[in-house]
Amino acid sequence: MSEKNFLARALNETVLTRRSFLKWSAALGGTAALAGGLSYGLKSMEAAAQEDESEGEWISAACWHNCGGRCPNYALVKDGVVLRQKSDDTHEDSPDFPQQRGCARGRSQRKQVFGADRLKYPMKRKHWEPGGGRKELRGQDEWVRISWDEALDIVASEIKRIKEKYGNEAILCPGGAEIQRTLTLYGGYVSTYGTTSGGTLHSSKTSCLGFGAYNSVMINDRMDHRNVDLFVHWGANGASSSGGNPVYNYLQNKKQGARVIFIDPFYTDTAQVLADEWIPIRPATDHAMVLGMAYTLITEDDPVNNPLIDWDFLNRCTIGFDADHMPEGADPKDNFKDYVLGTYDGVPKTPEWASEICGVDPDRIRSLAIEIARTRNVALCMASATARVMNADSWPQMFFTFGAMTGHIGRPGSFTGDSYYHQNWSGLRCGPPIIKPGSSGVPSVGMNPLEGENVDVWTVLPKVPGIRLNDTQMWDAVVTGKYLAGKDDLRDINIQLIYHGGGATLQTRDGMTRGIEAHRKVEFVVSHSQILTTNSKYADIVLPVTTEWERYGTITAANREIGFVWASQITEPLYEAKDDIWIAAEIGKRLGLDPDVINPIPLKQQIFNQIAGAAILKGDVPYSKSEYEPLVTITEEDIKEMGVEGQPQQGRIPLKELKKRGYYQVPRYPGDNYEYVALMDFREDPEANPLPTDSGKIEIYCKKLADVVESRGWSTIKPYPAYNPAQEGYEATFADWKNKIKGEFPLQNYNIHYPRRSHSVFDNIQQLRRAFPHEFFMNPIDAEARGIKHGDIVQITSKHGTVIRPVFVTSRIMPGVVTLPHGAWVEIDEATGVDKAGADNILCGPVSTGQGVSGWNSCIVEVKKYEGPIQLEPDYKWPQRIPLKEA
Amino acid sequence: MAKQLGFYFDSSICVNCKVCQVACQDKNDLPPHLRWRRVLQYGGGDWLPHPSRPGLFIPNQVFSYAVSISCNHCEKPACVEVCPTGAMTKRSDGIVFVDQNNCIGCRYCEWACPYSAPQYNDIEGVMSKCNFCMDLIDKGEKPACVSACVMRALDFGDIEELRARYGNLAAIEPLPDASITSPALVITPHRHAQASGSGTGRVLNLPEEL
Repeated sequence: MSEKNFLARALNETVLTRRSFLKWSAALGGTAALAGGLSYGLKSMEAAAQEDESEGEWISAACWHNCGGRCPNYALVKDGVVLRQKSDDTHEDSPDFPQQRGCARGRSQRKQVFGADRLKYPMKRKHWEPGGGRKELRGQDEWVRISWDEALDIVASEIKRIKEKYGNEAILCPGGAEIQRTLTLYGGYVSTYGTTSGGTLHSSKTSCLGFGAYNSVMINDRMDHRNVDLFVHWGANGASSSGGNPVYNYLQNKKQGARVIFIDPFYTDTAQVLADEWIPIRPATDHAMVLGMAYTLITEDDPVNNPLIDWDFLNRCTIGFDADHMPEGADPKDNFKDYVLGTYDGVPKTPEWASEICGVDPDRIRSLAIEIARTRNVALCMASATARVMNADSWPQMFFTFGAMTGHIGRPGSFTGDSYYHQNWSGLRCGPPIIKPGSSGVPSVGMNPLEGENVDVWTVLPKVPGIRLNDTQMWDAVVTGKYLAGKDDLRDINIQLIYHGGGATLQTRDGMTRGIEAHRKVEFVVSHSQILTTNSKYADIVLPVTTEWERYGTITAANREIGFVWASQITEPLYEAKDDIWIAAEIGKRLGLDPDVINPIPLKQQIFNQIAGAAILKGDVPYSKSEYEPLVTITEEDIKEMGVEGQPQQGRIPLKELKKRGYYQVPRYPGDNYEYVALMDFREDPEANPLPTDSGKIEIYCKKLADVVESRGWSTIKPYPAYNPAQEGYEATFADWKNKIKGEFPLQNYNIHYPRRSHSVFDNIQQLRRAFPHEFFMNPIDAEARGIKHGDIVQITSKHGTVIRPVFVTSRIMPGVVTLPHGAWVEIDEATGVDKAGADNILCGPVSTGQGVSGWNSCIVEVKKYEGPIQLEPDYKWPQRIPLKEA
Repeated sequence: MAKQLGFYFDSSICVNCKVCQVACQDKNDLPPHLRWRRVLQYGGGDWLPHPSRPGLFIPNQVFSYAVSISCNHCEKPACVEVCPTGAMTKRSDGIVFVDQNNCIGCRYCEWACPYSAPQYNDIEGVMSKCNFCMDLIDKGEKPACVSACVMRALDFGDIEELRARYGNLAAIEPLPDASITSPALVITPHRHAQASGSGTGRVLNLPEEL
């Protein structure tokens, strides 16, 4: 082999054999395609040319997943076959007016829709009987094809039987908006709630800041990002979590000369492009670091000679910072400043104190605080990853307190906020959306009777009403028959039916080992899915559903500037796949309900309603004064052709053109009328423009938050942002904290987002598995101490479960920290109990703290070289999940 | 028509997302194991105990960057030189492609290419590689990878124009020295990019991925 071959050199450096190199080109099995979708032969040049000469039609194709991008996508459809996709080219591309380019996941969409692993027929688990049959075989049983009639009859009869025997309280439905309509009309079901993606940004931000997670009002517009001099990305990795334009947008900030700092356990792909400085920090310790920074500012600030604190902003716009600014009725000792100084608890939160916890050099903690305080225009941007931590209820409050201290709130070029979610598009979901879709017109079927009242579960007192399970407690509730409904309020519960009408609950919620146990306990499990996902793998009855490509169309919410994407039908439903709403109505019929109440408006009409009601900011005056006007021009002919009811109207873009393009985007430029500075009015006059908190201000002292946490019964917090070590955080890796003697699980694990998947979606796609092996990342110091080398198969074990993975040894992750990327579909080797796929939630446990935050990024593990019997193949060689044997 | 078409790649802004790799597979209907464009990570550095604070470690020149590489449609293509049947062809605009009607699948080009661009298609028994999306080029459109890149790190055009605009650098670690085949490639190096052949890091990708 030629030594000039760079891959050969690369492989030699990674100690790989020549035989393995040649295998790189070898054929793979199991990638047969369904008719009408894919062809794996390579076209000759002539054939390729011919094909393109009689091209099919480019159709706006849905990419509807729950990611940070939400981009338009296009499929070339000819004779019902998708030839290929393409990236947005509906207009010229520029940083000001960028094309909406998507990621590798969306580019693989046709492989998901037309994959050989699509579920074609309703299925019944071979050893199921009413009552459960051999429940222990859920997850490892064989499948039998059944007819739709038989499937729907079984599902309906089991719902009926279980309701009559145990009550509606025995029915758990964590996901599936369609079937939830049916179940609501049939007396209700036990619903779930959780912090999911936003962590404590969901649960605690409203009380102390007035707005929930991802809320649009706290981040400045992307054009304003170019005014930012110092951009701090805290725990954020947009390259993986927000495919598409977000990181391209952040690049524009860097290009104008900003200094960019990434604070993260990992030198991520985003950091490698944007970071001028990387500050490695231990997961779940961010709060401690910010306290150390606050201490620095408090002790070194001198308003005259060395002003570091924006006292004007603190005094006017916050409460609780110091003893002189406490709300009525509060104990003056419960002020933040004295907590930081250690006046009453005897523990000053010095940079040294913080460093022992977070692993950052105390000199850097101190100098960073001063750098942020002294720089005029600073963006403090926290990712929700830092809030997906146990006991992190006070963390959002802490972060915003620091933003308030440094005055980086409510000014051009400065903001403090949380970002990266798709509707944010790096700050683009800020202020009112420029474009927004109309409403579908589908009326609610009313409140789920078992939910009690319609409340915000994150702020309601005295407790969450009705029978609702928090994600962190739901599997325990099923297994033990008990759940905590509030402080000192332990109640019985007897779940016997789990209905997965949508979502990926068993796969993505904490405590999967417990979740599998729960699924093997109940009498009946039913699941809707397009592929044999985790939910379906552990079900009794699996109902094959259509994707968005097989329906008339869909309106997916997207970033502020395009508002939504209108995607159209690409193909007819594959095999016997049905729409979720059809299933919901059919089951409703069998339960004696009116299907027209469940499914009142045809999808085509819903789409039309959303298009007709779509609005766009006029943009003739600055956004805060601007009004909306209709986006779409609709003619009588359009209405007749679509076969819907409606009125003609005048807008900016004709309906047919919007349908073809998929979206409408306003060309933007710096200084246009869409620029937005978050909380500027609040900063200027907090009395006239109060925040929706009890006091109208930023609550550094927030009694409500402390009361709500206490009322849930799992833990307590202070009303000011005190540091609460995560139950399975850094401190828990020690058997003896003081003497730093490590315990049984000495390493911290967290769940980095991974470009192969959008959460768990796309994990099955072969070309994505080829591109992204789902490695487990570890520092060389930790690896060497365990005799582990790059590429070895390692076993990772927590208190809650164990998995095996190939290991990626790299200095890009800090010592003491490992990461198992989020979202791999569990694949338990039943003989050994080891998960071969490396599912994050096998390691993460069902641990309830605070308001029930799902604390995936607080998890402790041990790692060793795998010596067991399983021969682990690389992910791309795994056969697809094709549950029925016949063609 | 351009005399020699080439690619431009900006390593300083590549986020290793591999949409270029997947867009190419999509556009060309490739099976998962044929990757006409692929993305490598190169990096290095280590960690040292803090000199005065026990329990703390400091990163010591930790760096990484990504390199997206397909075929460089070289000015001195080794694949064309060694091809026994003449199947490997260079067009007048510089694009090098496999005429699969004449390819016998002997794989000599695979051995000769320093960039591992030609790949054996075991399904058809012939070689395959990036053809610059010549069907799109001939219609005045862009290669799929260029259109897809979310960071806008890829571009293409006449190599002399690319060189005038972006410079003459055609190799960084882990790519081989450009003097071997004179690739029609211009690279903007990542700020931590290392010179070909003298790097202190290594290819970071897992062996199974390569």
